[in-house]
Amino acid sequence: MEREVLEAELVLPTHMKFKKIQMYDKYPKGQARGRHWKHLKQIIQAENYENYPPHLPTYVNIETPPSMHPGKKICDITGFEAPYFDPRTKLRYANTEVFKTIRSLPNDYVQRYLALRNAAVVLR
Amino acid sequence: MPFISKIERQSDYGSFNSSHPIVIDNGASYFRIGWAGENEPRVIFRNIVQRPRHKTTGETVTVVGDHNPVLLKYFDCTRSGPRSAFESNVVYQFEIMEYILDFGFDRLGADQSQIDHPILITECACNPVQSRGKMAELLFESYGVPSVAFGVDAAFSYKYNQQLGICSDTGLAITSGFTTSHVIPFINGEPVYEACCRTNVGGYHVTDYLKQLLSLKYPHHISKLTWERVEELKMEHCYIAADYASEVQLFQRGDKEAEDKTRCWQLPWTPSPVEEPPSEEEIARKAALKEKQSQRLREMAEAKRSSKINELENELKGLEFLLEELKDIEEDDEIVSFLASRGYASKREAESAFAKVTQSLRKAKGEQVPSEEKVDISAAEKYYLIDIPDDELSAEQLKEKRRQVFLKSTTEARQRAKQRRLDEELEKEKEKKLEEQKRMENPERYLEQLRAKYKELSEKLEQRKRLKTNGNNANGNNNVSGGVGRGERLNAAQRERMRLLTTAAFDRGKGEDTFGQRDEDWQLYKLMSRDNDDDDDDKPDHDETELARISSRLREIDPTFFPGSESGASASEAPRFRPLTKEDFQIILGVERFRCPEVLFNPNFIGIDQSGLDEMVGVSLRRLPSWVQGLEDKMTSSILVTGGSCLYPGMGERLEAGIQMIRPCGTPIKVVRATDPIMDSWRGASVYAAAMQFPQQTFSRTDYYEKGEDWLRSYKFRYTI
Repeated sequence: MEREVLEAELVLPTHMKFKKIQMYDKYPKGQARGRHWKHLKQIIQAENYENYPPHLPTYVNIETPPSMHPGKKICDITGFEAPYFDPRTKLRYANTEVFKTIRSLPNDYVQRYLALRNAAVVLR
Repeated sequence: MPFISKIERQSDYGSFNSSHPIVIDNGASYFRIGWAGENEPRVIFRNIVQRPRHKTTGETVTVVGDHNPVLLKYFDCTRSGPRSAFESNVVYQFEIMEYILDFGFDRLGADQSQIDHPILITECACNPVQSRGKMAELLFESYGVPSVAFGVDAAFSYKYNQQLGICSDTGLAITSGFTTSHVIPFINGEPVYEACCRTNVGGYHVTDYLKQLLSLKYPHHISKLTWERVEELKMEHCYIAADYASEVQLFQRGDKEAEDKTRCWQLPWTPSPVEEPPSEEEIARKAALKEKQSQRLREMAEAKRSSKINELENELKGLEFLLEELKDIEEDDEIVSFLASRGYASKREAESAFAKVTQSLRKAKGEQVPSEEKVDISAAEKYYLIDIPDDELSAEQLKEKRRQVFLKSTTEARQRAKQRRLDEELEKEKEKKLEEQKRMENPERYLEQLRAKYKELSEKLEQRKRLKTNGNNANGNNNVSGGVGRGERLNAAQRERMRLLTTAAFDRGKGEDTFGQRDEDWQLYKLMSRDNDDDDDDKPDHDETELARISSRLREIDPTFFPGSESGASASEAPRFRPLTKEDFQIILGVERFRCPEVLFNPNFIGIDQSGLDEMVGVSLRRLPSWVQGLEDKMTSSILVTGGSCLYPGMGERLEAGIQMIRPCGTPIKVVRATDPIMDSWRGASVYAAAMQFPQQTFSRTDYYEKGEDWLRSYKFRYTI
C-alpha cells in the first residue's frame, strides 16, 4: 500500500484492540452470506404495529398525513407555475417556449423529469 | 462550510476514568463522538462507508467517512459507492454501523481491551425496537460497553437551547435533518411523541433534486456534478423564498432583480488555442525545404537522362558499326548468317532498330522529334505488312501484321481525338466570346438570365436526384442491404424488381410450371438482379456539366452568388463547428436556488405525498391533548428550528408566515433558530450525559437480556432532570 495512504490512515484496520469480537470473526472472509439485514419495510412489518393501542406513538403513526392543500403545480423544466399539461409526455409546462422544448426532449429525459416527481412509468 | 470532518486521532483516551460517558450523535449524515461534559465532539465524520478495492494489491479495504479524495486514486471505487447504515432515519445495516463505530472509537483513541465507558447514543423519534435492540446488542457484544442510553437528537437540541434561554420548556421543535423532518412538541420540558409528526423529506432530497435538475439541464457537465459538489452548491446558494409563486414570477418575467439573484458557477475552462497564421519565417522555411526537395528530384532525373543518353549512344555506335560491316558483306547468305549471329532477322530490321535508337536518342537529348508529316511519310514504310493479304504471309509476319494494324488504328484514333478536342475548344472559345459579347451589351440582363438558368437547372437536377434515390441516400450507398427504409418510396425500377420477386416467391406450386420452356423466361433473372438499378449513374450527364459551368461562371462575375444557396443543398451540409466558449462551461442557478429547498414545504414537488414543514406544525398541534387551555398558543410562541436543513436563509420568515396561515389571527408566533442547528444535539446530549442522574437512565447488558424486548420498546429517555 502506498505511503501516503498509510500515513493518512485511510484504511480501517481489520483488527481493533478494543473489540471483543472482531469483524473478521463475525463476518468470515470468503463465506457467502445472504442478506443479513432487514430493510426498513421489513423492520416495520416485524414490529407488528397494528397490535398496539392506537394512542401509542410508533414509527409508522407519527408520519405526517397527506397535505390538505392542493398540490402546487410547477413546470417540470423551469419550476415556473404550470397552468398546462402535455398529455403526450405527461409533463407540466409553463408556456409555449417550454412546450417546444419538452416536445423536442428525448424520451429518456422526459422519463427522468417525470421520475423527479415520482410520476415516471415504471416497468415491472 | 460544507463537510467539516475532524478525524485526528485523540491521545487522551486513557485519562478518562471508566465512568465517564462517551456521547455519540449518530445522525444520518454525520457521526459525532466525544466525551460527556465537553462542548465540542472530538471526532466528526460523514456517516458513510466505502469498500473499494486496492488497485495494485487487489484487496478490498474499508474506508470510513470523508477522506482526501486525492488518496482514493489508488483504489478502484467503481464497484462500490459510499454506503450508509441508514434507511430513512433508521439504522438497518449493522455491518456498516460496526465499521463506523470502529472508526469512531479508534479515532477517539480507544486502546484498551474494550470500551469501558457508558454510552449515550442518539436515535430517531420512535425508533423501531428492532433497530434499537440491534444497536444495543452491537455495543454490548462487540465493544463490551457496560451501559447504554438512547435519546432523540431533536430533543437534546431543544433542551440545550432551552437551557440557553432561547426557548421555553413548552414549545415546538421543528427539526429538519438529512432524510426526515420532524415536528416535536414539548410540554414542561418533555417531548410528546404522541403529538409529533414526521415527513420523509430532508437535506438529502434537496441535494438530490438539485443534482438531478442540474444534470438534466447540463448533461455535458454531469461528471462535474458530484454529490459533494452539489451539496456545496446547495449550502452556498440555496435559499427559501418568502413566497414561491411571487419569487418564481420574478424569474419568469426576467426582472432585473431575478438577474441579481441568479448565480453562476464557472467550471474550469481554458480557451482552445487560437490557430495563428504561420509566420513569415515558417513560410520561408517551408518554401526552402520544398525547393531543396525539388532540386534533388531534378538532379535525379538529370542523372537518369544522361545515363540513358549514354546508353543509347553506345547502342547507336554499335548499330552504325554493324551497318558499316553489312556494307562490306556482299553475299546474301552471309548477310543472313551474320545478322542472325547479331540477333537480327533481316537488314531491314537492323535499319529500323537503328532509326528507332536515333529517334529515342534525339528525344532523350530534348531535340525536336521529327514532325508528324515525316512520321506520316514513313507510315507506309512502318506499316509495310498491312496491305499484304494474310495468306501471303508466314506466321511470324502475320503476328507482325496484327501488331501493325493495332498500332496504326491507335495512332489514328489518337489523332482523331486530338482533332476533336481542338474543335471543341474552338467551339467553347466561340461560345465564350458570344456570351462575353452578350454580357457587354447588357450585363444586368445577362446576370439575370444566368441566375434563372442556374436555378432551373439545379432544381431539375435536384428533382431527378430525389426521384432516383428517392430519399434513400440516407440508407448509405444505394441500398446494399437491399432493404428500403420505412416510408421510403421505391423508384420505378426497384418497384418492378420487387414485383417480380414477390410474384416469383408466391407463384410456386400454382398450376403448371412452364418456366424455362421459352428462352425469354431466363431474362427474368436479369431483371431481378440488382445491377440494372444504377445504369446511368456512371456517366455525368449534360445538365450536370452545364450546371457546373454556370455556377463557376456565376462565381466569377457575381460576388453575391453562393452555390447551392437556393437549391436547399445546404441543408445536407454538416452543422458548422462552433468553438466552445466560456458560457458553455457555466452552470447557472436561477430558479433552482429556491425551487430545491422548496421541497421541504411542498414535498409533492418530488412526488412525496406528505405535508410540508409549515403544515406539519398544524398537524402536530391537532394531535396535542386538547384539555390544556391555551396550550397551542404557548406552543407557537416558542418554536425552535434546528437541524442542518434549517440553515437556508429565509427559513424562519417562511415558517412564521406559514404558521400564521394555519393559526387563528392574533396568535402569538415566535420562531427562533437554534444557536448551532448542527451541533446542538450533540452538545445537549453531552450535557445530559455529564449530569449526575445520567447513570439511572442507562441500562446494562444484563438489563437488556433479562428485561426483554418489550421493556426495550417502552424504554424512554427522560429529559427533565
